[in-house]
Amino acid sequence: MPDTIFDVKNVSFAYEEAEENAVQDVSFSVPEGAFYAILGQNGSGKSTLAKLLNGLYLPTEGTVHVCGMDTADDKHTWDIRSSAGMVFQNPDNQIVATIVEDDVAFGLENIGVPAKEMPVRIEQALTDVGMLAFKERAPHTLSGGQKQRIAIAGILAMQPRAIIFDEATAMLDPQGRKEVFSAVERLNKEKNITVVWITHFMEEAARCQHVFIMENGKMVLEGAPKDIFSDPERLQKLRLDAPPVAGLAHRLRQSGMPLTDGILTVEEMVKEVSALCKSPSGK
Amino acid sequence: MQITFRQVSHTYQPGSPFQSTALSNIDFTVESGEFLALIGHTGSGKSTLAQHINGLLKPTSGQVLIDGSDIHADGYSKKTLRQKVGMVFQYAEHQLFEETVEKDIAFGPKNLGLEEAEIAVRVQEAMEKVGLEYDEFKEKSPFELSGGQMRRVAIAGVLAMRPEVLILDEPAAGLDPMSREEMLQLIKALHEKGTTIVMISHSMDDVARFATRAIVLKKGAIAMDGTPAEIFRHADELEDMGLDVPVICKLARDMQKAGLPLEDGIYEEDKLYEALLHLWKGGAADAQ
Amino acid sequence: MLNDITLGQYYPVKSMVHSLDPRVKIVLLILALVTVFLPENMLLYIPIAAFILLTARLSNVPFKLLLKGIKPLRFILIFTVVLNVFFLPGETVWLEWEFIRITKEAVLTAIMFGIRLVLLVMFSSLLTLTTAPVALTDGLERLLSPLAKIRFPAHEMAMMMTIALRFIPTLLEEADKIMKAQSARGADFESGNLMARAKAMVPLLVPLFVSAFRRAGDLAMAMEARCYHGGKGRTRLHVLKMKRNDYLALLFMALLLAAVIVGNRFL
Repeated sequence: MPDTIFDVKNVSFAYEEAEENAVQDVSFSVPEGAFYAILGQNGSGKSTLAKLLNGLYLPTEGTVHVCGMDTADDKHTWDIRSSAGMVFQNPDNQIVATIVEDDVAFGLENIGVPAKEMPVRIEQALTDVGMLAFKERAPHTLSGGQKQRIAIAGILAMQPRAIIFDEATAMLDPQGRKEVFSAVERLNKEKNITVVWITHFMEEAARCQHVFIMENGKMVLEGAPKDIFSDPERLQKLRLDAPPVAGLAHRLRQSGMPLTDGILTVEEMVKEVSALCKSPSGK
Repeated sequence: MQITFRQVSHTYQPGSPFQSTALSNIDFTVESGEFLALIGHTGSGKSTLAQHINGLLKPTSGQVLIDGSDIHADGYSKKTLRQKVGMVFQYAEHQLFEETVEKDIAFGPKNLGLEEAEIAVRVQEAMEKVGLEYDEFKEKSPFELSGGQMRRVAIAGVLAMRPEVLILDEPAAGLDPMSREEMLQLIKALHEKGTTIVMISHSMDDVARFATRAIVLKKGAIAMDGTPAEIFRHADELEDMGLDVPVICKLARDMQKAGLPLEDGIYEEDKLYEALLHLWKGGAADAQ
Repeated sequence: MLNDITLGQYYPVKSMVHSLDPRVKIVLLILALVTVFLPENMLLYIPIAAFILLTARLSNVPFKLLLKGIKPLRFILIFTVVLNVFFLPGETVWLEWEFIRITKEAVLTAIMFGIRLVLLVMFSSLLTLTTAPVALTDGLERLLSPLAKIRFPAHEMAMMMTIALRFIPTLLEEADKIMKAQSARGADFESGNLMARAKAMVPLLVPLFVSAFRRAGDLAMAMEARCYHGGKGRTRLHVLKMKRNDYLALLFMALLLAAVIVGNRFL
């Protein structure tokens, strides 16, 4: 059994002066090495939930444990944040230093890593996100996708067990989105870093192992992408769209074409459809 | 109204060590009623091109003509130009500054020197166009609205100038799927009512659904210019440029490569759906 | 519109002067400023000028750039020199006409004043031309860190300066964009009297402030998430260590200072 990284139990959270809870009685857990998505509209509470996962916010009710440590216990604050890093939405607003290398060092400096050890860790982290060549550049000369990868490197250098991505691709162009998502997929596979991927892009959620859907602060649906996206009507009710491939597959299925449930990618679709449509008699 | 680019080039910071060519020898004409999508990589010159249309940037060489007259010629009124060609920037909500929605939308018409009464009419009209209830929103502070609503206020601020051409730079960026769709429907409605649209977009799916014409820019030059059907027939070339192609287009192409007899350049979901259903039924019939 | 503002004046080449410890360079500047104000005899400016020329040579910074720093000051320079010439009292009269009275002493003092000002600016430029802003901040922080005992927020100040340096290009870019967006709505930033122009800035400044606050909030959150909790227990990536050249530079400066003091005695 892998360790549990995030353990969220009956968590509710209300902002000061707000009447309603932004997060309402949410429970779930994330095992080590997982790649989970949290999907929802703006205002569904998904970003608030993200900030509850590493103690930036503390639950009004319920508990959040990160690697066994209670986020409400301020003894553990810094241990929790160095085990579960976080990448935010706006690439500009999370880079502190004027040089890439210095920025990656920022977290290390904060947790008191000896100066001798830092260059090795920085180099490794930048290599892991494919940004080593940009070590001495000024962040404002980089593209959005590159800035986000620098932000990831800044966290990787702290050797975390998990990274929470709070809509980290929402402000990027398609190229940057791909860059960042595949870098994260690689980290998950090769370094066994646990990923919580918060997003409103269906295509990205479709590539995660497990999807949680939030609406009005509540967890309303969860399951494997295959199950979640094979029912476009249910998604529509939650004000979400199915990825285009799933949508087309669903329409064809309804018109009688015997496609299997849960087709999400172009490759799967091409394979199934061509098997069905090529004349079986071989003409 | 007709917009013509004649051999337009633009160089940033000429003569300095930071000199960079953003556009070179751009030639095209946009006619009234078109829905033109500008496509290209970040840094391909799309935004620079767009900012030439309403004179925010001046060509280093070449001319931008509106209805045949050079917008940078002496005596061409910038005010008329700004009125005719409206521009909505990326993350347009970041330009809001007034205390109320009404005042913010009135900023443009006021700058045009219009009468109070006329301004009031236009503000109301613009709010209707973007789907914001006048009585409900006019007194609200733009800063207490949701992201999607703020963006609509910003667009209303441009529409209140009654432009004939509307340039939009990534109007749906950063919005969630539902607000995105609403935004695109809004633009579609404006186009249907006669506004010429020039939209910069990264989303090929949006281009496929809404544009009547697309120009693909590559390193500051026009790489392709045509209807979406013509453009998406070159899916492989687009991908080589590092650009996306619509998912449907990708499906159709890959199925074709896998041996299905589909026609070239399908990029609309309905069309692919029909074609596949037809093939499958044909195949099933053969089998019997 | 705003992108032609270059930030700071750091001239990024490699040189002996560039690679000096920023702390040492700040101390050198302070000593240099003292040295510039000491001479009572004009001749003593010769070794000081020679020192600047030598340093400039070693720094690989074109001398033209060094002089460029004086350009914005030329009016103040002319103004103070002229003022001194006309109004300082003296004994040896060179020219007397109506109420104007120019004396030898006044002219000499005025020239001395001018030289001091020019040298002052050149020394300061030499520091900013050869030291990256970040290194400068870093140097200041460490020089001031002993003051933490009397609760002087050296680390916090340095952090603020670093963040300011980091965000200036971002905010400039943003200002440019907002300016364009408002121009597209017919805003006019360029004509009208002072009052009208000041008023025209509102549509630029309000969104810019709103954005700066939003960024500040985001950044604070991101810094907290990366375990930032002030200067306590913090280590640093760049360890500053004085090298042979640093000691040599200090030695030279001390010699110059001593020479000027001795010179004052005997000339």
